[in-house]
Amino acid sequence: MTELLETLKQQVIDALNLEDLTPEDIDVDAPLFGEGLGLDSIDALELIMILEKEYGIKHQSPAQGKEIFKSIRTMAEFIQANRTK
Amino acid sequence: MIVITGYGIVSAIGVGKAETLDALRHHRSGIAPVQYLDTVHRDMLVGEVKLSFDELMARVGVPSDAEAPQSRTALIGRLALREALQQAGLTSPDDYATMALLSGTTVGGMDRTEIEASVSADGTIEHYNYDCGTSTLDIAHGFGQFAFVDTISTACSSAANAIAMGIEMVRQGLFERVVAGGSEGLSRLHLNGFNTLMILDSEPCRPFDAHRNGINLGEGAAYLVIESEASALRRGVRPLAVLSGYGNACDAYHQTASSPEGEGAVLAMQQALADAGLQPSDIAYINCHGTGTPNNDVSELCALHRVFGPQLPPFSSTKGFTGHTTSASGSIEAAFCLLALEHHFLPVNLNFRDPITPDSSSTPDIPVLPSAGDQVLPPLRGNEGVICNAFAFGGNDTSLILAPYHPAPSSAQAEPSSPNIPKNPLISLNIPKRKIFLLASTELSPDIDPNFRDYLSPLESRRLDKLLKRTVACSLQTLRQCPEVVPDAIITATVWGSAISAITFFHDMMRQGEAFLKPTLFMQSTHNTMSSLIAIQTHNHGYNVTHSQLDDSLPHAFLDAWLQMQSGRIRSALVGIHDSIPAFDNRSYLLCTADALPPDCHPLAELVFNPSSRIFECHS
Repeated sequence: MTELLETLKQQVIDALNLEDLTPEDIDVDAPLFGEGLGLDSIDALELIMILEKEYGIKHQSPAQGKEIFKSIRTMAEFIQANRTK
Repeated sequence: MIVITGYGIVSAIGVGKAETLDALRHHRSGIAPVQYLDTVHRDMLVGEVKLSFDELMARVGVPSDAEAPQSRTALIGRLALREALQQAGLTSPDDYATMALLSGTTVGGMDRTEIEASVSADGTIEHYNYDCGTSTLDIAHGFGQFAFVDTISTACSSAANAIAMGIEMVRQGLFERVVAGGSEGLSRLHLNGFNTLMILDSEPCRPFDAHRNGINLGEGAAYLVIESEASALRRGVRPLAVLSGYGNACDAYHQTASSPEGEGAVLAMQQALADAGLQPSDIAYINCHGTGTPNNDVSELCALHRVFGPQLPPFSSTKGFTGHTTSASGSIEAAFCLLALEHHFLPVNLNFRDPITPDSSSTPDIPVLPSAGDQVLPPLRGNEGVICNAFAFGGNDTSLILAPYHPAPSSAQAEPSSPNIPKNPLISLNIPKRKIFLLASTELSPDIDPNFRDYLSPLESRRLDKLLKRTVACSLQTLRQCPEVVPDAIITATVWGSAISAITFFHDMMRQGEAFLKPTLFMQSTHNTMSSLIAIQTHNHGYNVTHSQLDDSLPHAFLDAWLQMQSGRIRSALVGIHDSIPAFDNRSYLLCTADALPPDCHPLAELVFNPSSRIFECHS
């Protein structure tokens, strides 16, 4: 799980072009949207793309994303339970 | 009075007005699985014009071995333009030589680019061409030489803004006759782009329905011949309808989402009403933007509620017939309004079943019932009219008001045909000109980037490509030179638009196929991304338009500013050109009229507009 958390942090930084951040800056339990990293709906789509491309998880609706993308940790837990690659 | 004397339309429900009317009256949708576009997404529902490329070539009358390659955008554009000009009795090159052609497009000839592009051994893509301006010239090519050609590229409100500019050109006397509208052929690029945004519905789109789940993309073209009443009567042509007003405002909220309260839409509709001298109660029907996305429809409903209150007139979205025809939607739906006015019916809102349940947090409690079934639009009296809405990425929101033509009792006699009317299209020479001053300007070096941190926070800049960052920096540098003046308008010129993002998206699509493409790139790929980005960064809700006409792009942006200032709608404008091909080119200029000149401000120059050449001369 720790390894997945670290990989995921880097994937999020790359996909969202968070150029000023390093993985150490991201608290795995901090909210990704709103007051945390301040992400928006387009970022959510990029996160959906990570799930699909890197972990083979087909994800149909952005509305489902709310729970999954609460934090890096909730995202990692979802990946662990649903990954196909 | 500005009248319409001809119009032409091509969409998924037919070629020409007769087929279109029949489909609208018989509730026949043109949305179907992909038939003509070469894409892996064969099951996707789209509103294609039901003609293959070769069939379109034959309909237009272009020999298939013609040297100039034609895109779908150009071919359907020509079909619609020909119908409009013919109905208006404008059939000779002499007629066109005194007219302006204003056309909206964003995708341009992308469908052709996709066919011709080949990936070379080193992975580069050849033949990324057919910019918007060239695409419009391709449409014009079949008709001879127009006196003036411009392309407006504000994504899904492009055609509506072309019509708005046409109205102003005739009002301000630059031309007696203008033909304006838009054309957009379906391309793999924007089908995949919208797909990355996850807003394509796999079922027929259901605008305003509680269970709506996105859009179906469509394609098509429509053009309106716009002229002064005097010109039409002098030519002995019967006006078909009146263009009584327009409004253009920027939501200035987000590149792809509408604000929950629909601020841009409210301002656009209110401006259009004021321009036409109408009250909300004078509006008999609204053809909504109504894309069928959860976001657009609830935002637009909120805007309707704010403008019309509980007395909401009948409204519908016709995108269940055609799909979302993007840049062409403003003129296609204006043509639907003209058919509705002429034949006294309300276009139905296909696939509507369940009203949106008011959610106290975001949706006002209003009766949400788009017109459905066969409803009659009674003959309108006095100034009564209908509204046509077209909203776009970046919050580029535009509303048009169309009304039936009621001839003044004496007008037929008041304007006898006169052999002495000069052929010169410029009839403006007696209109008093407002003085216009240049207050500030910035020209960024193509090779040196400013420190972007001075203009953008890390969160704001992280997904902007370099052109977009330079655009914001250049614009803010200009505005900071004269902080007393908040521009009433942001008018941008660009030949290639946000080419860095668009070409990267295109390359990814060509190389890796139609999967795993980046929404962030697509969201930034439209030509109006820059103009709306400046508006978002500066919270500017003013007039916001982007011109893309090759070397004429910047002169046309200045011309637009002049038209808006002449009309009295704006007193100041931020005009700029922003491109990255072949090198970075970022220049911006802050203009204002004499009455907006801040005290103790020493303008850099006076700009004098020459109506003959239609360009500004700088008098320092």
